[in-house]
Amino acid sequence: MKWLGLGLVVVAAFLGAVVLGPVHVPLAGLAASDIVRTLRLPRALLAFLVGGSLALSGAGLQALVRNPLADPFLLGLSGGAGLGAVAAIALHLASPWALPLAAFAGALGATALVYRLGLVGGGELDPRVLILAGVAVGAFAAAVTTAIVSLSDAAELRNTFLWLWGGLSGASWDSVLVLAVYLPLPLAVLFAAARPLDLLALGEEPARHLGADVESLKRRVFVAASLLAAVCVAVSGVIGFVGLVVPHAMRTLWGHRHRPLLPAAFLGGGALLALSDTVARVAVAPRELPVGIVTALVGVPVFALLLRRWTTS
Amino acid sequence: MERRHSLRSHTIRLVALAAALACRPADHAPAAAGSTVIDDAGRTVVLAQPAHRIVSLSPAVTELLFALGVGDRVVGRTTWCDYPPVVRLVPSVGDGLNPSLEALAARRPDLVVLYRSPLNETAAAQLSRLGIAAVVLRQDRLEDVARAARLLGRLVGRSAAGDSLADSLSRLLAAPAPRSRRRLAFVVWDSPPIVIGAGSYLDQLATLAGAENVFHDIAAASAAVGLETIATRDPDVIVVVSDSAEPRPPALARRPEWRVIRAVREGRFVYLVGSLFGRPGPRAGGAAGELRRLLGQVTR
Repeated sequence: MKWLGLGLVVVAAFLGAVVLGPVHVPLAGLAASDIVRTLRLPRALLAFLVGGSLALSGAGLQALVRNPLADPFLLGLSGGAGLGAVAAIALHLASPWALPLAAFAGALGATALVYRLGLVGGGELDPRVLILAGVAVGAFAAAVTTAIVSLSDAAELRNTFLWLWGGLSGASWDSVLVLAVYLPLPLAVLFAAARPLDLLALGEEPARHLGADVESLKRRVFVAASLLAAVCVAVSGVIGFVGLVVPHAMRTLWGHRHRPLLPAAFLGGGALLALSDTVARVAVAPRELPVGIVTALVGVPVFALLLRRWTTS
Repeated sequence: MERRHSLRSHTIRLVALAAALACRPADHAPAAAGSTVIDDAGRTVVLAQPAHRIVSLSPAVTELLFALGVGDRVVGRTTWCDYPPVVRLVPSVGDGLNPSLEALAARRPDLVVLYRSPLNETAAAQLSRLGIAAVVLRQDRLEDVARAARLLGRLVGRSAAGDSLADSLSRLLAAPAPRSRRRLAFVVWDSPPIVIGAGSYLDQLATLAGAENVFHDIAAASAAVGLETIATRDPDVIVVVSDSAEPRPPALARRPEWRVIRAVREGRFVYLVGSLFGRPGPRAGGAAGELRRLLGQVTR
């Protein structure tokens, strides 16, 4: 029943993204329309994949550090990915294929630093220190990004600024192809980690007793989540909020077991971003809103409702 | 090639015009008198005598000062000031975005001219405290330039030149070229697509050139729009303003998603050089004529 509902939301969000737009395309001419085929369809797919990946990345990280506040933002991944991408733009290396790699390098650098700092307390990875380290590294990456942006010349300045804003207006079949190449591996790694993540929720020591290879699990989830966040930042800039809130919203409906939670988070995140992007395109037509604003405007009330339901039941 | 010749001859005409304005004897008579003006930030600026050491923190103001015949009084400029070419000999005091007060004061100016922005209004107030007169001028549209010409004319003791320049700009605005029925869209950025709306100087230029901006219904100076909106408005020509002196085909021309726009598919682009078209100034008439000529070259 819940799955059917989620499936309907996904289908509705996707149909809305294809059918609705500032330009009226008659339903009968939908398949033949150039606007639908070259603009709306790749953009809807991009929105769905980016939203789903961000939510899945957030769900994985929240399980990993056992902290409900964790998301790609808080752990410094988005900041590191943004820094990598802005540095690539400043060095004139910004091809559609190189940008995800540069963002990934940035995210991985930030991840390594956060991870290393998380170990300062001793041999165990301390989740609380990890969050603090993420905030610190994120602030550092933001400072370096701002320095690059303010020192670059006028054209690059605009380029990087508008790009950091985030948005899906650059969507094309090329960007969908980039996602199709970079996403499957980390998605598979995270989905496969569902059972061990359930064990990890019991604590590292119990998980170890129950046979989980905790250190290897933490490494795999961390790297996979970074890659997801990095590829998303590379194709659509920094879009906040989805990675933090969608996993919590799904937890209110599906509970804490990761086998159902991870796919639900992926579908829910995809539906949220596809829906938000449709609103961004249509609400103030002929102008467009930055999609990050809409994800917050649409997502926060939904989240508040779910949270109330959850705490009262 | 032909285009550059036309630019050059245009330049020569303007320099001649500036020289003619500068030599008007009537202008020199009230030169000893001081002046009081209210600038576009509502600040009252009093000069005991006409300004003789002027720092211009905007390319359009630099052009205006030369057009008023007081180019030799400009002692500081921005890195963007490139017209008239001789202005490159004047020391630059920065990019004009967030001016360094020390760099300004080091030029010992008796007048600093800034364009209107919150940061510049703060800088103007700080300059006043240092005892340096500063005026803040809006420079978004041609009306602003006309008003700035009058105001600067009084501050430099060339009221008549300022008024006549302002009058000629007002006449220009009042008499646009006959409609060519050519419909264009100015694309100033590609991701997200940003176009020019009615609030911008470029929209005025389109009207002056007899063309129609398909995004004239957007009141703002510029706005992010969707590609499908551009495709449906179906402009005859995509006009691209570039920062570089050598116009290059924009990257968007090669991208598949942009090819839903007919003008992109058919390769109908016009490239405008930022230094002439990107700022409202005394060369507006020439810019409008040049735009009209370039639009005429694009085959329908």
